[in-house]
Amino acid sequence: MEFSSKIVSDAVEALSGFPGIGRRTALRLVMYLLNRPEMEVAKLAESLIKLKTDLHLCTFCGNVSDARVCDICNNSSRSNGILCVVEDFSDLMAIESTRQFSGRYHVLGGLISPMDGVGPDDLSISSLVQRVENESITEVVMALSATIEGDTTLFYIGKKLKSLPVKMSCIARGISVGGEIEYADEVTLGRSILQRTEYNL
Amino acid sequence: MHISKLQLFNFKNHESLNLELIPGVNILTGNNGVGKTNCLDAVHCLSNGKSYFTSLDSQLIKHGQDFFTIKAAVGNAIDTQDTTEILLQFDKGKKTIKKNGKNYPRLSDHIGFIQTVMITPYDIELVLGNSDERRRFMDLLISQLNTEYLHHLMVYRKAVEQRNSLLKAWSGRNMDDDLLESFDQKLIPSATLIHQIRYSITQEIIPIFKRIYAALASTDELVEINYSSPLHENAMQDLLKLNRSNDLFAERTTAGPHKDDWVFELQGNPLRKFGSQGQIKSFVIALKIAQYRFFQEKLGKTPILLLDDIFEKIDESRAQRLMELVESEGFGQILITDTHPERVEKHLSQLNGEHNHRSVG
Repeated sequence: MEFSSKIVSDAVEALSGFPGIGRRTALRLVMYLLNRPEMEVAKLAESLIKLKTDLHLCTFCGNVSDARVCDICNNSSRSNGILCVVEDFSDLMAIESTRQFSGRYHVLGGLISPMDGVGPDDLSISSLVQRVENESITEVVMALSATIEGDTTLFYIGKKLKSLPVKMSCIARGISVGGEIEYADEVTLGRSILQRTEYNL
Repeated sequence: MHISKLQLFNFKNHESLNLELIPGVNILTGNNGVGKTNCLDAVHCLSNGKSYFTSLDSQLIKHGQDFFTIKAAVGNAIDTQDTTEILLQFDKGKKTIKKNGKNYPRLSDHIGFIQTVMITPYDIELVLGNSDERRRFMDLLISQLNTEYLHHLMVYRKAVEQRNSLLKAWSGRNMDDDLLESFDQKLIPSATLIHQIRYSITQEIIPIFKRIYAALASTDELVEINYSSPLHENAMQDLLKLNRSNDLFAERTTAGPHKDDWVFELQGNPLRKFGSQGQIKSFVIALKIAQYRFFQEKLGKTPILLLDDIFEKIDESRAQRLMELVESEGFGQILITDTHPERVEKHLSQLNGEHNHRSVG
């Protein structure tokens, strides 16, 4: 694609670096922006800049926040001694939107994966251990993906918390709600059978 | 299940080819380079979604063209009116498979609809090549019978890859024991299961293989398959402990099912060193036919047997017994390629069944 304007070309170049956006879509977005009022575009630019200048990671849990401490950590009613460990803040949002968890979170910032050059020191594991030691935590709920990296990270954190007087649990894995057994993959189904739960009337 | 009609467009050297096939024995003859093997490979593609010879689909397109299609009418042995049309298309770098004009959501959903077992001259690599070849053969065989095996194989491979990266990344430093153990505990259950399943399947297939080899060779040559794995003596957990310092030094996982091998023996000696070309070829043919029989027993399906250039390097009596074997009860559709029409005719003339002789090119 050849552009008569370097300004357009630069904008397309910058946008096409986004995940899931190619040069053609980037050009469409540029055309759209050109047709919007200047105020609106300035507002967009400002909101993007603020992502880097004004956004904080909560000093306690690592969640994204406008203040130094996030709303969840600031909410004293959520101090019930239960800590939910997640990979990143999008997982936190997913759990938060279920409205089923009333404790606080701890965001790791990734999973252990030597292939990608991510080791335990690149994640907030030592700060998790400190929190468990200092914040009178009774239970740590591990909500990590059911992948090799997730399981490895789960085990490693388990090792680090073993000597502490805290209960560790991990989220249940199995048949999805509304899912039909016939269509479940065999590995999930096998695991559901092995980790079956007692049924109480 | 059999293929009654095969149509190729721009597939390898075929610009356009139509073949009518019968449910029994089909013979494709023609000179070198006319594309007999490519017809068999097309059937293999329809069955497995990929070529027997290359993993690059773009290499399957006829030179100078930009797409290929393979179309087949698949007949049902019981209800002759019931035919299914399968179309495999590769265009603009995208491969799709359609069943009766409808796209599969995923290619893998199609795998297993048409079962094939292919025997080609390249299969002697199973004997002469390194252990990767034998592991690939066994892994593929077992995966088709046991999806749990495939899952554990993938978990194990990925965990070993991660563990190796870890060993490399910590090169020269004191290893974080907890971290190494995190990967060990992930690969131990999968390694244990892979070993157990490989062991039991090998034990099941050996008698079938020996029976077929005896029928083929018609001598009292003693053949044996020995599954060799350090997991026979040590549990994976202990094996990792025993090899810990080796692993740290080599910066990779040095022991485990990813190093397993199957040793083929003839008269108590390693086949690759002491076998003649004919003996090696007979061994491989018997192994593949054992695989065919095993699928039949375990899955209750009769694969299509694809025999490429089967008569080269084996003597006339073995060739004759092979034809008797594949014409015997229980074998479904068979496609055979050969450069000598008279040679195949001679072998087949002594048999009873109906044959379909097609010349390609």
